[in-house]
Amino acid sequence: MTVEFDRGKAYVVDRGQPKLRAGQGMIAGLDVVIRHFFSAFTKKLETPDETSGVFTVQYPEERLAMPEAFRNFPILLFDDTTGQELCTSCFQCERICPPQVIHMTQAVDPTTGKPVPAVAEFMIEYDACMSCGLCAEVCPFDAIKMDHDFELATDDRAGMTVRKADLDRPVSYYETIAPTRWAEVKDGAYKKLQGNIKRRSGSIGLSPRAATAPKKAAPAAAKPAAGVAKPVAVKTAMPMAAPGKNMSEEKLARLLSIRAANVAKAGGAAPAEAEEVLATADTDDVAEAPAAVAAARPVSSGGIPFSADNLLGGVPANTTMAEDKVERLKSIRSGNLARRG
Amino acid sequence: MLQFLENIFGPSWIVSLIAFLISTTVILIVTPVTFMMMTWFERRIVARMQDRLGPNRVGPAGLLQAVADGVKMFTKENITPRAADKWVHLIAPLVATGPVIFLFAVIPWGYGLSPVDINVSVLFVIAVSSISAVGLMMGGWGSNNKFALLGAMRAVAQMVSYEIPAVIALLSMVLFTGTMNLNKYTELQGGLPILGNTLKDVIPDLGLGWFVFTPIGLVGFMIFFICILSEGERTPFDIPEADSEIVAGYMTEYSGMKFAVFYMGQFLFNYALSMVASIIFLGGWNFPGIPQLISIAPPIGALASAVVLGAKAWFLFFVMIWLRGAFPRLRMDQLMAFAWKFLLPLALINILSAALWLTIMLWCTGDCTQNPWVFTVGGINPLGWLGNSPVLRQLVGFVLTAIINAGAFFWLLNVNRRPAGETPADLARDQAFGTASLP
Amino acid sequence: MLKTQELQINIGPQHPSTHGVFRLVVTVDGETIVDLKPVFGYLHRNHEQLAEVSTYIQMMPFTDRLDYFNSMANNFGLAIAVEKLAGIEVPQRANYIRVLMAELTRILNHAAAVAFMINDMGAWQTPLAFGMREREKILDLFEMASGARMMCNYFRFGGIVRDLPPDFMPLLNDLMKALPTFFDETERLLRENEILLLRSEGVGILPKEVAASYSVTGPVLRASGVPYDVRKAEPYSVYNELDFDVPIGSVGDIYDRFLVRIEEMRQSYRIVQQVIERLPDTTGGHINPAMASIGKQKALKPPVGDVYGRVETPKGELGFYIVSDGSARPYRYKVRAPSFINLTPIGDMCRGHKVADVVVILGSIDIVLGEVDR
Repeated sequence: MTVEFDRGKAYVVDRGQPKLRAGQGMIAGLDVVIRHFFSAFTKKLETPDETSGVFTVQYPEERLAMPEAFRNFPILLFDDTTGQELCTSCFQCERICPPQVIHMTQAVDPTTGKPVPAVAEFMIEYDACMSCGLCAEVCPFDAIKMDHDFELATDDRAGMTVRKADLDRPVSYYETIAPTRWAEVKDGAYKKLQGNIKRRSGSIGLSPRAATAPKKAAPAAAKPAAGVAKPVAVKTAMPMAAPGKNMSEEKLARLLSIRAANVAKAGGAAPAEAEEVLATADTDDVAEAPAAVAAARPVSSGGIPFSADNLLGGVPANTTMAEDKVERLKSIRSGNLARRG
Repeated sequence: MLQFLENIFGPSWIVSLIAFLISTTVILIVTPVTFMMMTWFERRIVARMQDRLGPNRVGPAGLLQAVADGVKMFTKENITPRAADKWVHLIAPLVATGPVIFLFAVIPWGYGLSPVDINVSVLFVIAVSSISAVGLMMGGWGSNNKFALLGAMRAVAQMVSYEIPAVIALLSMVLFTGTMNLNKYTELQGGLPILGNTLKDVIPDLGLGWFVFTPIGLVGFMIFFICILSEGERTPFDIPEADSEIVAGYMTEYSGMKFAVFYMGQFLFNYALSMVASIIFLGGWNFPGIPQLISIAPPIGALASAVVLGAKAWFLFFVMIWLRGAFPRLRMDQLMAFAWKFLLPLALINILSAALWLTIMLWCTGDCTQNPWVFTVGGINPLGWLGNSPVLRQLVGFVLTAIINAGAFFWLLNVNRRPAGETPADLARDQAFGTASLP
Repeated sequence: MLKTQELQINIGPQHPSTHGVFRLVVTVDGETIVDLKPVFGYLHRNHEQLAEVSTYIQMMPFTDRLDYFNSMANNFGLAIAVEKLAGIEVPQRANYIRVLMAELTRILNHAAAVAFMINDMGAWQTPLAFGMREREKILDLFEMASGARMMCNYFRFGGIVRDLPPDFMPLLNDLMKALPTFFDETERLLRENEILLLRSEGVGILPKEVAASYSVTGPVLRASGVPYDVRKAEPYSVYNELDFDVPIGSVGDIYDRFLVRIEEMRQSYRIVQQVIERLPDTTGGHINPAMASIGKQKALKPPVGDVYGRVETPKGELGFYIVSDGSARPYRYKVRAPSFINLTPIGDMCRGHKVADVVVILGSIDIVLGEVDR
């Protein structure tokens, strides 16, 4: 049966002629397999035009280059020089997010009580994020971008709710992972940022990361006194690292910091310190100097932990993470509602 | 020698006891190590066939992977389903694996390296190897699981069916050689390909007179190897544990070490039968140079012979892996049809060939006239023209049996082929399509 | 005759070859199938209801998760439906890139589908390893273009997210050199294999009338001998500008499905070749300028009405039925999932065959449970 179409036809596939079969088809199959067997000892499949040779990539040692477009989880950008975050809390990403895992509160000027184009707290539930990249696409200020770091496996589920301090990455980091993409939007982004900085005051809009970055640069960081702060330094340095060979070191650093945080948490922070941190972490009380946050943090939790609970909460040891997460979510959502009016 | 040992150690039964204890210990150590090597080997080889690397993390080239697997198996929870028959479930792996290790008692590992040298070792191999089917059935029945039951049914049906062509293939060789002693087979396979030992006096023993080079041996080897695949549950006959159909067959409800014991039994069975096939068909430890080495320096020769025999067995195992890397598996009914409609008749015809060969070789050799049983046609011996030259007789036998076996092979293929226009596909086409067609 | 007892077996929900969380209630007499009932829904993720609370563009990443092998083709379906509903034009270049992606998807899906079927038949991963090798190469290309290997989220209403990166074409050309070798090798490895012939010829026959009455689509229908292909029946995008044939089977058994898939890979290869030739001369950008900003996509409010948009995914006809009430969210959204509909005749196909054939027939239908259960 042959049916003619506009361009092309329907044709019946050839099932082959019935013939005496003494295993010749099986021998052909064996031949194919043994050829692969021998070529796998001599060749490595490097380019897509080859069809034989070992194509295993021995992952932790060998890594495939990631294309610029690669998207894993969203991160927030801040300017290297001024430390100002690009985000203005316009809520575009929160609205477009299909699984609705982005939450944020807008910063308020403590003197006037008016909202400022900066973000007070930003939270992404990495565990439910589906890496679609719509947030990065929709962001008019190029403040939210998709990261290339995919080695985030953890057994700490609550730690997958990531807050601003952990989301923040310097622009220079994004430039290393996606140079052409950043070059496309660079001018517009900086222009918009300049406009927004004018409307911010004090420490509003300053990245918590930016505050620790100079500390890392200072030689003082090398002192043994900064023992707990060391993971901080490594972690902050991490985003600058080229996403290539250093990946495993970076992962190690992250692991270390998570562990340090867990240990600190298990030990239980001194109540007074916890109080203090709570005060500094209060989302509305942004007038507190970021330096204070930075100072308080190593004492209470030992390094920037991946777990957001440690970071801002200074949670008493008996509070479970899940409860804390619920509370946080509730407060942020109510805050959002209130602000939207 | 025995006297010497007796003087040192005491009465002969003590010597025998010690000797057997030593060989038992050696077997019990060597076989699990062989099993571990086999799992590693299989995974590495198949990986290369699939353009991969295979396990390469534990130890050099991943050699210790099997150790890691063993540790994992030991530390796994040993689960017995609540509804299972606990004792049957527990004993089944032992019943399945024990007989396999018995096999190694009679299989010579090399020249003079036979733990027990009995006269009927071929019979022993056949008899003991069938016992493990009981273990499989016990495992499948005792698990109280439908997949396990199906798997066990398949396993038993398959093993029983494939025993028959395997035994007949071996029988043709027993007829051919006149011995059931595995140790004797190697001696009989020296000399040259096709001609065998017939020119022993003229040409030095090259150790290449393997039976696989004779038509009877070739067909016998093919049948026996296919039966090994089936009895050892290798692709394309791994139906009892078809993972894509019935999860793991009779092993479905097994975990931890019990599973590993089943697995070990299977792999060792493959290895043991590969050794038997190498001894009977592939010339045992015969290889150019080995006979001379044995006669010059027996200890070194024995070692070399063990290496040669091991290499042959491992090569057969490699072929098994190769097949596994390339083929899908058959279905149960097709498997049965293959055994009963193709292998069995071919094996029977092979016995006829063996008998014919034997006749040609032995008919009226020596003083013919004295033999009252010699059949003559009009006073003339029909095979008289062959004279007493074993070379000529061997060649004639080779040609005749080659013709018979090849003819039988193609005849059976043709008989089993569905006539044109009557394949299931054709029937379905007629039934489903007829002449109607959709626009 | 001996009296035998029928046995009921549950193949699944946890089973190596049900391709996901899926259960087959099989009644067997010995090894012969007496009855078979598919049970699905274990993987239900509320896809259709989600759409009613999401904007149109928010649904795009969710369609990736329908048939997670072919996210590009699924995106294509939603894009076609919404564009039809809202009357959005697509520039020529975007259309060609869409077709390129859809056909690469077809190649990767069939490479994996054929291999998975052989795996169900008992092969020990070798065809799968070869298929996956080529699939990886195509996924690399997808990653380069869209940022993700499987959940591409590449299509937008009126075009695609962004144009192909500059290093895309060289890699694609490299891949095009490898693919014919891969097709030939697969055929040499499998096509004449006696075991495969024994296992597949005359097994799982789906006569064309039955297939049509179950409204089966895709390679399964074509293997049954019906030359129905949405790309020909209702040419969308630029398929009417491209030359390709539709392979059909003559018997409708597993072997025909296997052959049809291999031939379809070759036809897709032809299409990709043509697209590569024409891509440099195409006009228009990667997206309709009217829809270029994501804000426009987000605020898309199609006029009141309903639409059925369909595409030929590798698994069959994927249809999106969307009812709009004029708001930014669809009023009703229904997916015609090819895997789901192709799965329905499995009882008819399996009856009378052996247990071992069930998994192979299931494999030959080529389902993805993400799409079946939605």
